[in-house]
Amino acid sequence: MELKELMNEIRVPNKAFGHNGVTVLTPTSESELSMVLRSAQEEGKKISVMGRGTKQGYGGGMEEYDYLLSLAKYKGIVEHTVGDMTVTLKPGTTIAELQNYLKEHNQMAAIDPAWPDDSTIGGVIAANESGPKRLMYGSARDLVIGLRVVYPDGSVIRTGGKVVKNVAGYDMNKLFIGSMGTLGVISEITLKLRPVPKYESLIILSATEDLLGKLRAFAVQLQDSMLEPASLELLNPTLSYKLLNKHAYSLLISFEDVENSVQYQENWVEEHKPDSTEITQLSLQEAKGFWAQFAANAPNSLQEMCDDAEIEGVLKLGSKNLDVFELIEESRRIQEKYDMKVEAHGGAGHGVSHIILKGSETSMKQAIPHIRNFAEQKSGHAAIKHLPFNLRSEVNVWGEPPSYFFLFKGIKAKVDPHNTLNYKRFIGGI
Amino acid sequence: MFSLNKKKKLSGDRYIDQLANIVGTDDILFKKADLLSYDCDGFAIEKALPKAVVFPKNTEEVAALVKYCSEHQIPFLARGAGTGLSGGAIPLNEEVIISLVKMKKLLSVDYENRQAVVQPGFVNLKLTNSISDKGYYYAPDPSSQYVCTIGGNVAENAGGAHCLKYGVTTNHILGLEVVLPNGEVIEISENGIPDTPGYDLLGLLTGSEGTLGIVTKITVRILKNPQGKQTVLAYFDDVEDGSHAVSDIVSAGIVPAALEMMDKIAIEGVEAGAFPVGHPKDIEALLLIEVDGITAGIEEQIEEILQVCHVRNVREVKVAQSEEERGAWWANRKTGFGAMGAISPDYLVQDGVIPRSTLPGVLSNIAKISKEYGLRIANIFHAGDGNLHPLILFDSRVPGETEKALKAGSACLKACADVGGSITGEHGVGIEKKEEMRFIFSDEELEAQTRIREVFNPENLLNQGKLFPTPSRCMDVKKIVKDTVAH
Repeated sequence: MELKELMNEIRVPNKAFGHNGVTVLTPTSESELSMVLRSAQEEGKKISVMGRGTKQGYGGGMEEYDYLLSLAKYKGIVEHTVGDMTVTLKPGTTIAELQNYLKEHNQMAAIDPAWPDDSTIGGVIAANESGPKRLMYGSARDLVIGLRVVYPDGSVIRTGGKVVKNVAGYDMNKLFIGSMGTLGVISEITLKLRPVPKYESLIILSATEDLLGKLRAFAVQLQDSMLEPASLELLNPTLSYKLLNKHAYSLLISFEDVENSVQYQENWVEEHKPDSTEITQLSLQEAKGFWAQFAANAPNSLQEMCDDAEIEGVLKLGSKNLDVFELIEESRRIQEKYDMKVEAHGGAGHGVSHIILKGSETSMKQAIPHIRNFAEQKSGHAAIKHLPFNLRSEVNVWGEPPSYFFLFKGIKAKVDPHNTLNYKRFIGGI
Repeated sequence: MFSLNKKKKLSGDRYIDQLANIVGTDDILFKKADLLSYDCDGFAIEKALPKAVVFPKNTEEVAALVKYCSEHQIPFLARGAGTGLSGGAIPLNEEVIISLVKMKKLLSVDYENRQAVVQPGFVNLKLTNSISDKGYYYAPDPSSQYVCTIGGNVAENAGGAHCLKYGVTTNHILGLEVVLPNGEVIEISENGIPDTPGYDLLGLLTGSEGTLGIVTKITVRILKNPQGKQTVLAYFDDVEDGSHAVSDIVSAGIVPAALEMMDKIAIEGVEAGAFPVGHPKDIEALLLIEVDGITAGIEEQIEEILQVCHVRNVREVKVAQSEEERGAWWANRKTGFGAMGAISPDYLVQDGVIPRSTLPGVLSNIAKISKEYGLRIANIFHAGDGNLHPLILFDSRVPGETEKALKAGSACLKACADVGGSITGEHGVGIEKKEEMRFIFSDEELEAQTRIREVFNPENLLNQGKLFPTPSRCMDVKKIVKDTVAH
């Protein structure tokens, strides 16, 4: 088979984000994928791996590789054993396609990353993407039970299996989740599923800027109660205004359980809400609409960039759960100090935050180190998830590698010795 | 730094004296009589004496011991409470055993951020006991939780009955301090911060059975106790009805905290054991089902479960009326393995995993294996997540029966692997299931794993000979065949 037979039309992401390829390849089977990798490694070619292209602005990387390997055409459900609550699918399947399919069986993949219509399951796993409901359901590492991975030499390695509990050998699934495609190309994924919750609701608690402390105390109280929220996501006033038309900090409290339980928890929130905070209760349909809007909010590399001189960037932060309040509050200082538009949200129960910046190039270059320093002072971290390539090459994308970076290098060298895949994309240039 | 009282020089062995120098003479065992209790762990079929057992009291001592062993090419391994069921802590190569039982402190608890930091020798159940006054608990609950250590749980990625809803150990580990096999100390995801950039070493180390490093500090997630809890016990006259009930409960959209099953022989065992509860002797299967969460939501789920059981021809089904009753049911179940001692001189625990829907077929295959080998097999089953524990009853005094039991155990695992399952769900591979790894992984896939080991443990001095089958035996055979064909 010739490589040129694998060139199909796909929607090419915005080239300004780098990770482009001289040639775009779109394999439609594992054997084609394996052939591409093997021949690339043999010829010393470099490959940039992509799903549908929402995350081309994520990671360091290079402006151009020999090949851009798109998995957009390698999609579909391979096997769904309804009674076992597991599904096996191909990497190019989008999150929305997967969820719509599962909904017919009253099941779901418990993950709510951004842009479900364009994010592919392979990309979500490779980039370890998650959303607000991670609080209740965990992240990709808690859902993936098995993978098939094509190694750079073309061999196909199975990791994990199709059962929900498995400790045979090393937990190799974990190696590929969040590895930014630098080790192998995921060619098949098996996930454990959950039943669609019988009932769900979303309550929004909003507080003016001076009352953020009260929201924090409430989040602590709620988590120390026996309530079981699916999300406890804090929005800064800019994002809150955009999505909810409220000039205030907003705490998104959602519940997913049987109806009696959800109602009991809603009542608890109403009874315990701090004084001077405003409560908004969304109906089931409104809640679904809101989450869809929330998931589509951040910019991605499939979109055209805004035509004015302003640039958009997104940072992902990790911190202790409750430090999320201080990280989100810091967005106001960034907004004022660097004259930027800053939208921010973070999970008060899981410690992952996102900051979306919009402003001039100069502001961007100052705001990023500011945010990282602030996060690191709280023993957290910050990585750039979305930024044009020219700027990424001027700022530190991942932060300083840890003292044990040699282990990352060692793993990369054992699995991808010729740096065939996503070269320079991950921390420390691996 | 480590001074040795010359008068107390105990052994003629230079290495042992040096090790004693590191931990102090009170914290080393090297006389044969003292070493005997370290010749195996919970897998008592293979035994070997260690060179010595050392009891470090802090990370620095662990690092110094490891460094010494590494520099002098002495094989070594880490051990917690020694409850492992697959032989992971057995010193096959006359290892120095680094016992972590003296590193048993709870270092800190941060309730607001829901995490606790413990030393590896801290006992699993003690963590829950230490935080229960504030209404918190640590979720992974292996049956040995009253004695097993969290360090050992990390090594084995331990599970437990309540993992169905809350996940296994790996889902609860937020950070690790690790002594690498060269003595270097690293700290991964310090302070339990999520999604630290880089490969997921936390995930890789958890469940690596002590072959990649020695964990010296662990940050775990703690959870708030569920508001309410209800437990159902259901007796079935037909195993298939019981397994259909399991599927129906899950299909009804209920996520029970636990969903356990025992078959007739297992019931005979637990009723003869230390915690009988009066299960009828003539039933074919029982289910123990627990639902927890917001109290207001539990009642309707219990109703639904009772209904499912009736549809599936349950003989009798009851809801625990008190915490005492619930506790008695669980004690009966959790001591299930040991209870087999009451009906058989010896027993071998197996640990296969199957897709839930294949249960009836696999159980009938296990019955065939039982017949073929002439050994009784009891089944205790984490039915909700498909984790099957066949208990092979045998008498080691009868010549050849131990070997027969091992073969029957392996055949049970083959039966699990054949339906797309796994050879271990929570007990680990250790030395027991090394060869069975070939049931589910190709040589290439095994090599992909050993290549990762080489990154951490290049000289393979740490817990050598565990987890992976004897190197490339198949590979060699294949090569010979190829060569022969080529000629």
